[in-house]
Amino acid sequence: MILIRFCFVVLSISVIFFQGNSQTAATKPSLKVSGQVAKLLTLTAEDLSKMKHVTAILKDRGGKNVNYSGVPLQDILGLAGVSTGGQLRGENLSKYLLVKCADGYEVLFSLAEVDSSFTDRVIILADSTEGSPLPSDRGPFRLIVPGEKKPARSSYQVLEFVIRFAADK
Amino acid sequence: MTKLFLTILLMGIFLISINALLGSKVSPLYEIKYPAYFGDRIFIPADNTTTEAGVKLGRMLFYETALSAGNTISCGTCHKQELAFTDGKKMSTGIDGSLQSRNTMSLANLLWVSNFFWDGRAAGLEEQAKTPLTSPHEMGQSLAISVAKLKKIENYPLLFKEAFASDSISEQMIVKALAQFERTLVSADSRYDQYLRGEYKPTKSELNGISLFYTSPDPLKNIRGADCAHCHGGPKTYTELFQNNGLDSLPSDRGRELVTGLDIDRGRFRVAGLRNIAATAPYMHDGRFETLEEVVDHYNEHVVSNILTSPFLRDRSNTLNGKSLDLPKDEKKDILAFLNMLTDSAFISDRNFSNPFSK
Repeated sequence: MILIRFCFVVLSISVIFFQGNSQTAATKPSLKVSGQVAKLLTLTAEDLSKMKHVTAILKDRGGKNVNYSGVPLQDILGLAGVSTGGQLRGENLSKYLLVKCADGYEVLFSLAEVDSSFTDRVIILADSTEGSPLPSDRGPFRLIVPGEKKPARSSYQVLEFVIRFAADK
Repeated sequence: MTKLFLTILLMGIFLISINALLGSKVSPLYEIKYPAYFGDRIFIPADNTTTEAGVKLGRMLFYETALSAGNTISCGTCHKQELAFTDGKKMSTGIDGSLQSRNTMSLANLLWVSNFFWDGRAAGLEEQAKTPLTSPHEMGQSLAISVAKLKKIENYPLLFKEAFASDSISEQMIVKALAQFERTLVSADSRYDQYLRGEYKPTKSELNGISLFYTSPDPLKNIRGADCAHCHGGPKTYTELFQNNGLDSLPSDRGRELVTGLDIDRGRFRVAGLRNIAATAPYMHDGRFETLEEVVDHYNEHVVSNILTSPFLRDRSNTLNGKSLDLPKDEKKDILAFLNMLTDSAFISDRNFSNPFSK
């Protein structure tokens, strides 16, 4: 009975994805870094997989610790030439990072909040959890922000980092 | 002699400039008023500021049947003010008699929207307006023909001149004026707004509905909720999000995926704003639900749960280890009581938004 149910679930998921793929070639999600950057970046899952990975821990809704593996956010920002470390002074301290997700969700960090010269907290862009790729409803890339009381900034399906100056007009 | 000639020439240029300035008088800016709790994350393109004359023209164009092939329908045909700018139909009918592929959306508080249509494919109201005007299955007329027709209708050349300080009429001016008018469609005087301003005392049921709307359930702590606000946001009841809300296991309309090409966007549609929701039946992108009761039933007990469904609709329950919201009848009624508070009768009868050609 369990085997039949399992086969049905696998078949259903296959049908869901086959339905679309038979009509158009699906675009693979990638990560863009744009805005106030020295170099505009588009990183594929493969590009990210080749970068240095570290582990970060986030509690799930049940309160259990879950391991995530991914690329430190600062390394990605560094690749795009975003102001980090010693450059984060003066007006650069009014720069922010806007994280954009596939469903339109957006969250914001000041650059100082995510920089190792200001904090020991290492935020990562995770591409796997407990040894497996992230499930597609949360991945392929999820921001993991350790040490926060709410997981609201540990955003699902991240597609873009935008760097801007905070400018009151 | 030369000096006299130069003096006369300069005076002539001066007089011509003064005359031109007076002739191309710029219209005063239109002040769009809204409550502070709506926030200032508004979208007005730099090249289309909202002016008194632009809004006046846009309102006329919104109800102008000359913008359709055959001069029979206008934007207002499918966006009727008394129904919060919807038409009560599952799918609206176009100029050629064909049905639209998705339900007509309400037009309220568009000032806070940046990507339009159920799938968010149009960046800005100006861009959005081009589709219904020109689609052969909607108003069915090219903008070039609309320009030619408007040039021949009394008053329009003057109205365009007042709005855009130009002696000509262009395609872009048509969509710009429409967008200006639509940005003024602010709905912020419902009973819920009156409550937020301290002018209305909600019933017990309405108050509990508000609480359920905003609260995420936690059965371990005996906290009851429907968590609607997770996607529908704060008092504006709108956040620009696109979600698969578990209507079908195999979405027949792939929604936002058609725009982005991403599998993860399959069956995702705009999370609709809930202002005047009681006046805008039927519901969902395909108008499948005729009543708000059916909508609440869907979110409470019929969400199809698969990998495409929003995770925020899959792991919220008022029952320990529950698979659905599991709200009883009385709490569902309370949510409905709150949703009915969002009807803004001042908005749907505001003469600033009504058909200027009606007598």
